[in-house]
Amino acid sequence: MTADRRGLRWLLASLALQNLGRRKARSFLLIAAVAVASGVVFTGATLMRSIDRSMAVGFTRMGADMMVVSEGALTNITAALLTVEPTDLVLDADLFAKAQLTSVSRATPQKIARVEHSGIGSHHESADLIGFDPALDFTIQPWLVEKLNRELLPGDVILGAGREAPLGSQLLIFGKPHTVYGRLGKTGVGTHERGVFMSFRTLDALATSIGGHGGGSPPAALQPGKVSGFLVELAPGAAPLQARFAILSTLKGVKVVTGDSTMSGIRQGLAALLDGVLALMVLMFASTALMVCVLFSAIVTERRGELGLLKAIGARRSQIVGMMVIEAVIATGIGGALGVVLGILVMRLYERSLVYYLENVGVPFVWLDTPQMVAVAVAAIVLASVIGALGALYPAWRASRSDPYDLVRGEG
Amino acid sequence: MLSCLGLRKDYVTERGAVAAVAGIDLQVAAGRFAAIIGRSGSGKSSLMAMIGGLSRPSAGRVVVNGTDIWDLTENELAAFRNRRIGYVFQFASLLPTLRLIDNVALPAMLNRGGNAGDTYARASALLGQMGLGDHLDAYPSEVSAGEQRRAVIARALINDPAMILADEPTSDLDEQTEIEIMDELLAVNRERGTTLILVTHNLALAEQAEQIVHIAGGEIVE
Ligand SMILES: Nc1ncnc2c1ncn2[C@@H]1O[C@H](COP(=O)(O)OP(=O)(O)O)[C@@H](O)[C@H]1O
Ligand SMILES: [Mg+2]
Repeated sequence: MTADRRGLRWLLASLALQNLGRRKARSFLLIAAVAVASGVVFTGATLMRSIDRSMAVGFTRMGADMMVVSEGALTNITAALLTVEPTDLVLDADLFAKAQLTSVSRATPQKIARVEHSGIGSHHESADLIGFDPALDFTIQPWLVEKLNRELLPGDVILGAGREAPLGSQLLIFGKPHTVYGRLGKTGVGTHERGVFMSFRTLDALATSIGGHGGGSPPAALQPGKVSGFLVELAPGAAPLQARFAILSTLKGVKVVTGDSTMSGIRQGLAALLDGVLALMVLMFASTALMVCVLFSAIVTERRGELGLLKAIGARRSQIVGMMVIEAVIATGIGGALGVVLGILVMRLYERSLVYYLENVGVPFVWLDTPQMVAVAVAAIVLASVIGALGALYPAWRASRSDPYDLVRGEG
Repeated sequence: MLSCLGLRKDYVTERGAVAAVAGIDLQVAAGRFAAIIGRSGSGKSSLMAMIGGLSRPSAGRVVVNGTDIWDLTENELAAFRNRRIGYVFQFASLLPTLRLIDNVALPAMLNRGGNAGDTYARASALLGQMGLGDHLDAYPSEVSAGEQRRAVIARALINDPAMILADEPTSDLDEQTEIEIMDELLAVNRERGTTLILVTHNLALAEQAEQIVHIAGGEIVE
């Protein structure tokens, strides 16, 4: 005896599954079409979010929109970020705090001293000691690629990418022990890569040694209340030209340096591209939904007799519609999952060239982390299933309205 | 007790309206065996479909045990088809992707409240009764037309309906099989007291009925 202990739901679901198996080629095409759509959407969404995040990181990493230094000071302007060169021309540390410019959202001061015979690196090598205010800084700490698992303390130093020393190890500067707290990523800017970064407090503690060694007084930037310059971030929406004018007219004896504008152009281009991808994704989904709808209209027509039979033996409309919707959801759900797998494969395949390209245009690429990727994948599969449900719903609902006799006779 | 009052069915076709059933009044007492005869195209199937809740009448009423079935809500009507009526169609009417046992069990499964184990036991017993005990797991395409028709009868009986409506159930079968299947239907009518309304071309068979309804041109003729 085959008295199976299984419910109606199971029976209807297996009916749906077997119906898919009856027309293997058609089911395969449906699944393939949905897989392509879901693959595009999954890949597009993943890349979009990755690039979006990469650009966000890029912007904070970029350092600042502007740099304010003393008139006549040397500056190093590169594509990726602004840095202050060591100089004896200094500014007051409270310059921005006093000025209260509305077009400036943040201004972080830096002190820079170029030193020799410090004990860092080889004997004759000069080194830039860069002091920053950890509380105000937004241009150095975002570059940290590795660091100790604690706060930055006095006596800690952060090394530029060009310097080798294990985290936590000791580094003698003018004979004084310092702890290597972290290391910055590659920036391609010499000052950064060869720099030794530390808090103002740590740098101040070195002031006498720096001055004493050469026999003279410490560099101007190390005097209390003085800084080498400021890195400035504009308030959202503030126009660079007006901000520049405001700074120049308010603060005396300063020079305003702005970054490279081509980079922001590229970024804007990328953002526009992403908008295009989004539009494409929406269209893709709409057309897939329509395709499922058309296909299921045909499937419902083909299966009218069976639906009529089900109705004749007492199936409710909701059960008829449910069965067709389950069939569609199974197919489009499988298609959706397949698309995600496909998308992952494609991204794996093109990962290298993509990362290379993006880094070339100044966007360091950061992949979405796994939980976010999983969330996007689940969303793509759910969306595909929803499309199946929506596509099948209307034709199934329409057929379920007909009299069973019309359905079995092939009319209505 | 079934009564039809002023029952009409008009089909709208390209060549105008066709009155398939043109005003039929009919009473069939509970437990009776009624035979409907008439030429092809006289409206027999249309009448049966309206009685069985499968086709909405253009006019008139179908009253079963005091209720006009066409006044029921959609879900009530589904329950009526499911529990009160066992329908045997003129053509093959099993779901091809389900095994015979699943086909027979399906109406009972749709009739919620049943236990799946009991349902399948009952389905298997009914198929056994119809001589299909060896084919429970077979798919419809794997058995003969006669066996398929027996499975349909088993399916019609699974919810123990008050009325079996059989629309030329044997027209496409050989004579011997026809006799066997008719015997099954008559036995159900006799032994279970199930009302049987049978559309047939077989006059010898119709002679056995307690009530003969002769239809021509959508109307009852004497
Ligand atoms: N769905 C339909 N649309 C149009 N005409 C129909 C439809 N169903 C039946 N008819 C017509 O109605 C008449 C009665 O058909 P039917 O009830 O099937 O008769 P019978 O079962 O006695 O052969 C026939 O002329 C038939 O062509
Ligand atoms: Mg007929």
